[in-house]
Amino acid sequence: MEMLLMGACLSLLGLAVTALAFNTAAPHTEESPAAEPETARAEAPARFFADSPAMPAVTFSASVPIEALLLQIENHVRLEHAAAESFLAAPNRTLLHSRTMSQLVN
Amino acid sequence: MNQPPDLFEGLSSEECETALALGVRVTVSNGAELFRLGDEADRIYLIARGRLRLTMPMQVRGGEQDVLVEERGPGQTVGWSALIPPYRFTLTATAPLETEVVAFSRETLQHHFLKNPEAGCTVFLNLAAVVGQRLQVFQAMWLRGMEQMVEMRFA
Repeated sequence: MEMLLMGACLSLLGLAVTALAFNTAAPHTEESPAAEPETARAEAPARFFADSPAMPAVTFSASVPIEALLLQIENHVRLEHAAAESFLAAPNRTLLHSRTMSQLVN
Repeated sequence: MNQPPDLFEGLSSEECETALALGVRVTVSNGAELFRLGDEADRIYLIARGRLRLTMPMQVRGGEQDVLVEERGPGQTVGWSALIPPYRFTLTATAPLETEVVAFSRETLQHHFLKNPEAGCTVFLNLAAVVGQRLQVFQAMWLRGMEQMVEMRFA
């Protein structure tokens, strides 16, 4: 009888610990506003693309003023034009593929 | 102009003077446009003083912005679309400072060089060199641009 009671107590204790652990791990739906899951879904792609090598243009995001961006484009054109003229002055593969200091491609 | 302009290289000084006399001097004030992309092109220009920015409209953040393609200075030629069908400018030329150009109408040049074919041949070879040089520069720029795009997107 004592053994049976001890087993029942241990089972209840195990059940209580499991319930407590489950409660901690499970999302508190009643405490979260309804909009939160939507926000999480909306943010997920942004994190995904931020890691993508196919989107290097994040450097020149909307936070860069258009004037600064145009200056960078102009600087890029000047550097690329000079590089192309250098290639034409002495055509060879090294000059054709030479890198400039343009911030648009570095 | 101390040296002959690129278009008249190889002409004798007398021929050069005669050809220059066919043009009309035009002053372009600071910030003004000499011609605009799409305009009818009936004049070719030699820059006597100052500078011209040649630009093309580029789509940037959903808006159109004039982006520098080339800059030309004294002795250089702009506006050769005036001699090549369909006689429409493919760039916009703006003076970033007060600039003086000599404008030659297509009709006047054709008339003059039909009467002076040897000088005409020299001038049109020079024109071919101007056009060819620009083509080669932009071929190289195009290839470099393609390389950069491929590297950025698929590296």
